[in-house]
Amino acid sequence: MSTESATATATAPAAKGRNTKGGKGPRYARTGYLFVAPFMIAFTAMFLVPLAYAAWFSLFREQMIGGNVFVGLDNYTRAFTDPLLMAGLGRVALFFLIQVPVMMALALFFALALDSALVRLSRTVRLAIFMPYAVPSVVAALMWGFLYGPDFGPIAQFADRIGATAPDFLGADLMLGSIANIVTWEFTGYNMILLYAALRAIPVELYEAASVDGAGPWRIAWSIKIPLLRPAIVLCMVFSVIGSFQLFNEPSIMRTLAPNVIIAEYTPNLYAYNLAFVGQEYNYAAAVSFVLGFVIMAGSYLFMLATNRRSRS
Amino acid sequence: MSTVIEQPQAPAGPAARVRPRKPRPKRSTVLTVGMLAAAAYFLLPLVWLVIASTKSSEDLFSTFGLWFGGENSLFTNVKETFTVDDGAFGTWLGNSLLYAVASAAGGTFLAALGGYGFAKYRFKGNQAMFMGVLGAMAVPSTALAIPTYLLFSQAGLTDTPWAIILPSMASHPFGLYFMRIYADSAVPDSLIESGRIDGAGDFRIFFQVTGRLLMPAVATIMLFMLVQTWNNYFLPLIMLNDPDLYPVTVGLAAWQGQASTSGGASGDYLPLVVTGSLVSILPLIIAFLFLQRYWTTGLVSGSVKQ
Amino acid sequence: MNPRFRRRTGLAAALASPLAFGACARQRVDPPEQVSRAEIDEAMRTPTELNFWTWVPGIEKQVALFEEAYPDITVDVTNAAQGAGHYAKIRTALRAGRGAPDVAQIEYEMIPAFTITDHLLDLRPYGAGELEDRFVDWVWAQVSGPGGEVWAIPQDTGPMGMLYRADIFEAHGIEVPETWEAFAEAARALHRADPEVYLANFPPSQGAYFAGSLWQAGADPFAGSEGPVLNVDVTSEPVRRVAEYWAGLVAEGVVSTDPDFSDQWYQAANRGKYATWLTAAWGPVFLQSTAASTSGKWRAAPLPQWESGGPAAGNWGGSTNGVFNITEHPIQAAVFAQFINTDPECTKAMATEQFLFPPTKALLEDPEFTGMELEFYGGQKVNEVFAQISETVSPEFQWPPFNDQVRADYGATVGAAIAEGGDAAAALGDWRDRITAYAEYQGFTVEEAS
Repeated sequence: MSTESATATATAPAAKGRNTKGGKGPRYARTGYLFVAPFMIAFTAMFLVPLAYAAWFSLFREQMIGGNVFVGLDNYTRAFTDPLLMAGLGRVALFFLIQVPVMMALALFFALALDSALVRLSRTVRLAIFMPYAVPSVVAALMWGFLYGPDFGPIAQFADRIGATAPDFLGADLMLGSIANIVTWEFTGYNMILLYAALRAIPVELYEAASVDGAGPWRIAWSIKIPLLRPAIVLCMVFSVIGSFQLFNEPSIMRTLAPNVIIAEYTPNLYAYNLAFVGQEYNYAAAVSFVLGFVIMAGSYLFMLATNRRSRS
Repeated sequence: MSTVIEQPQAPAGPAARVRPRKPRPKRSTVLTVGMLAAAAYFLLPLVWLVIASTKSSEDLFSTFGLWFGGENSLFTNVKETFTVDDGAFGTWLGNSLLYAVASAAGGTFLAALGGYGFAKYRFKGNQAMFMGVLGAMAVPSTALAIPTYLLFSQAGLTDTPWAIILPSMASHPFGLYFMRIYADSAVPDSLIESGRIDGAGDFRIFFQVTGRLLMPAVATIMLFMLVQTWNNYFLPLIMLNDPDLYPVTVGLAAWQGQASTSGGASGDYLPLVVTGSLVSILPLIIAFLFLQRYWTTGLVSGSVKQ
Repeated sequence: MNPRFRRRTGLAAALASPLAFGACARQRVDPPEQVSRAEIDEAMRTPTELNFWTWVPGIEKQVALFEEAYPDITVDVTNAAQGAGHYAKIRTALRAGRGAPDVAQIEYEMIPAFTITDHLLDLRPYGAGELEDRFVDWVWAQVSGPGGEVWAIPQDTGPMGMLYRADIFEAHGIEVPETWEAFAEAARALHRADPEVYLANFPPSQGAYFAGSLWQAGADPFAGSEGPVLNVDVTSEPVRRVAEYWAGLVAEGVVSTDPDFSDQWYQAANRGKYATWLTAAWGPVFLQSTAASTSGKWRAAPLPQWESGGPAAGNWGGSTNGVFNITEHPIQAAVFAQFINTDPECTKAMATEQFLFPPTKALLEDPEFTGMELEFYGGQKVNEVFAQISETVSPEFQWPPFNDQVRADYGATVGAAIAEGGDAAAALGDWRDRITAYAEYQGFTVEEAS
């Protein structure tokens, strides 16, 4: 929660020429409530109530033998010492450390290149890179699963033709990388568009002078544009923290291709799903989800804190 | 975060889309080639998908994946995709459309109203409520799946379209965030004031005057929610049991499961999964091409990968 | 009372305690001692709609025959999900107390998972007790409870056998191995002679295959478990023998470890990478449609044996129809489950058109079934081979009350270890530890074999 408050406080002074709120005085406060009421009611019913219920649910333990008992924080104690959950968290943390920097570097590079006006056909290129965002992750995983296929996948076929052996993309060593590639494929364009849009919003005057002084486009990108992009990059990173730690769809589809590599506890989200739907440990699954949510919040908060501090110094 | 704030302003002002630029620097061939190579990487799987959907199940495995096989089975495949299982695929597409449009329309309306309210009115709890909504984004959707399922089933809503539409409408807080920022900068207070002086009620002002200024943001959020719901897999997987209610993502995954577990049918289902995948992404790609004008400037909203 | 208000109070009660959901699920119909003929006749004349969840292709045929016999009953067939998803969906629906089917397809290995939570209806009062003589003994043992309950009606089975490529065997001078020892020898010889070909593929995450192998080896790891007491003996000598046998062959590199039923595996089967498929009675027809390009080259035989004494086999797959006790129409549901699995026309169609391997004595002795000659197997009477194997399946094999969890744990421990050719004995220990920890968490009293 704090991550967003940090975001918002950062935004407040930045909004230029913001007027005082239109609805001053108690008379309009009621109208204000009426405006936000539909959203808040829907949000409460569809989000907060289930969330509160899940939180409360996680304090129980229902057994096949012995029924249901209140166990307080036992499920959380178990979660924090659960080696399977920790292994899963470690895996997605590694995934985050490998995949996100690559994806962000690519997205940033593409955005800068497209913004620099150095590239021909930039509209087509931009669309092409963004296109995978329109592909459901289920379909993306199905496609890549086939492309990775040993023997019959195009990559393996190609390697075979030139007398080489394609790496075992679905093997235990490469699986995380293979999934990272799918996610990178899906979301680089999306992040690129975010950064590109942010770049378009930078007033030209800010680097016009530099241009006049003879700074080339690379130098302008490095010294002027990237520092200005920092808030947008941070935002993308926070979304990536959430996305990486919640990884579910891709591994769950890839599981049919390599069931012995993608085990039930491969990612924390997959683990929670299997706890609930295979092991019937519904209460513990809820606790695991909250621990995961907590890790994500802590992760994003730390990330914001780190970047804020650095930008201040 | 200033860039994020400024984003919505771009389409707001009439001149914002055309940014005055200095004479362009010389184009770089190296960079162009590099970018084209990158574009090729991003298009490659889609090219594969198009090629694969022209193949019979035999050719899928026996011919080179990135080139066409002996004979073109595209039409057979498409016909099969839409006729097998009593035309289940068409039903799934229709369901996806219904869920996506209904939740995008409803969700955007709620977000527009709410974002406007948060931006333009001062009331007790304004800030706190807003922050609460944003903080909720960090909670994984799986945490909610089972409790939501249990609550919904108590209300008799599981295995109905509502089980998808209602949660999709309200569980993407980013729409609200985006709308608030947008309304904040795009709607001048003076406009509201002058409406009030003319004696119009605040809701009338919103629906007749100020709401119109939010249209670019509305289009962006709508497209974004459309994508979210169309691509959603986890929620319908849990909520729906009746295959007649599946959206296309769950349906395709079910076919994929059938292709592998029922083996005998493997030869029959695999081209359907491939062709079905292609058909299922066409509507969104067309929507993106069609609404390019909006999202290139407006789609700053961040979605959670799911 | 206003129905809306009622719903609200129901929700409030549910929120007050998660137990309430369990309570909903356990609102079961008390089965009367024995339902009379008259009661059954009356129920079958009452217009009723039954919900039936199944994955069996073509089952509509049997449903139609049932609806013809009982025109007042309509059966709504739903294929909700494949594999594990099927049970997950049933369980969540049962748990929520709403939307669960009346009748469902249930594999033998999953029956205890639904009896431990008290969700299956004992079918004895509805006439199922008298069906015992019609079914093969070991199959009937699988659907029977310790108190003689009948938890489900068998539909098909999968006694395990070996399909082999006669052409490859011949080319390399391999005799059909009768013992596992001979099988291992042949595996080494074949792979040495042709590195592209493996005598067998061990599917590392196929827990059902492994369980069937244990069955054949005479292991019965959960024998004697009843109610809250769970016996776990997955480290016994026969279990270790099976696990170490495969881990050894994998370590030698003479057995492949592709996941079965994957694109890769189908392709390999067509290409002739595997010289045998260790499978079950449903395998022959399945293979015929998936490896069509190898027609005429395959033959069927019993599995190799651990001991040269009496032949033994295990079972892999097959399923039953069970009735959930939340049903509002227990009589109709029970009659339906019995009808489609015992009516001569229904069962004959299953065996000869849908190729489900029958569990009934009548069909296993029916020359029209056993005498079928399959082109794909060079005209061999494959059904006869498997009908004979079916007689060698031991009735002593018990499933744990949480088989899906045991399977998942198997994949993560033993399956993974075998796939790497690793230390199978250590992995069995890990498997036991996981099962024990889970069972204790679920409130079972675990008794490990010394």
